[in-house]
Amino acid sequence: MIAHHPSEATLAAYAAGTLPEALALVAATHLSHCATCRKTLSTLEATGGALLEDLPPVPLSIDALDRLLGRMDQPAPPPPPILNPELPAPLNRVALGRWWPVGPGVRYRPMQSSGAAWGGLVLAQPGRSLPRHGHAGRELTCVLSCAFADQDGTFAAGDLSEPGDNHDQPPAVIGVQPCLCVIASEGMRLRGLLGFAQRIIGR
Amino acid sequence: MTQTTQSAGGPDYAALIQSIAQRRDREAFAALFGHFAPRVKAWMLRGGVNPTAAEELAQETMLSVWRKADLFDPARAGASTWIFTIARNLRIDAMRRERHPSDLMPDPSEEPDPPAQADRVIAMSQQEIRIRSALSLLPPEQAEVIHKAFFEDKVHAEIEKELGIPLGTVKSRLRLAMTRLRAALGDLA
Repeated sequence: MIAHHPSEATLAAYAAGTLPEALALVAATHLSHCATCRKTLSTLEATGGALLEDLPPVPLSIDALDRLLGRMDQPAPPPPPILNPELPAPLNRVALGRWWPVGPGVRYRPMQSSGAAWGGLVLAQPGRSLPRHGHAGRELTCVLSCAFADQDGTFAAGDLSEPGDNHDQPPAVIGVQPCLCVIASEGMRLRGLLGFAQRIIGR
Repeated sequence: MTQTTQSAGGPDYAALIQSIAQRRDREAFAALFGHFAPRVKAWMLRGGVNPTAAEELAQETMLSVWRKADLFDPARAGASTWIFTIARNLRIDAMRRERHPSDLMPDPSEEPDPPAQADRVIAMSQQEIRIRSALSLLPPEQAEVIHKAFFEDKVHAEIEKELGIPLGTVKSRLRLAMTRLRAALGDLA
């Protein structure tokens, strides 16, 4: 049962295609678990469709249709390969770097993404804390397996954490299994060791 | 809104897409192209895409409509919504060419689903009409955040700066707008 969801502002940016890629991947991971948010997304996408419909048309060049008709029988490009079969969609097609130790019992694996946000996987052992990011921008965390808890409650697989500004308590892994999350942030830098790792790894 | 009535009585775009799926119907494609390509181009231009790329992306969007017509499910999305998601994904692709993030976005056209029921198909075409009329009735400040989110390649922090209102206010206006859109959909959502 999913208890924690992204804000409507985040889903709206996702629907509009303006959410930076790393954040969009975390949101997409949550969406793949959450029927409620898929419904909100479909309302937002229908809003996009309605706005598109009402836009004053801008004509294409006079021969645009003819040129297109000449290309229509070319085959479609193949979809990108699955790079990480062990991960759920949509993370299975993302290019990932290697695991880096970023503190006692915590490892970080950056994912390749473009745009104004960065992100990756975090694996933290029971009792350890997930790294807290700086709060210069949006930050999303989606749990892939097991759970962590912070001042907003307990986050299990599929739950998404979108902390506000007054959010300083680091999330602690609960239970007896390590917790795997996908995180993304448009904040400047991570704090502490993960911040150091991020600086030497680059984006 | 006159355009709402026009759409209700205008061509059935969903049927045109299905006609492409069933018969590779080039006439249906030309009709869809005539209606949607100039709108997709307009949307790209509003998002800050340069005119050459906007023209190209409008063509690419229509090419995808042709290729993916058999994946269109009128019980899941109306024609404009489906074409909007294709255009959006292609714009994301264009912003970063090295991979294909549109394939990383859940594509509503590619998830297997139970077969369409007739009432559901009608519901989806109704959905677009209802949303368009609800949008036209939004209070201006709510309509503004929705428009900025969809038409300008801006993150919320930039919307915040531009409108001179705190991010919390942007978020709450969006939330209020969504409540109204959901209410307009009622049982269709």
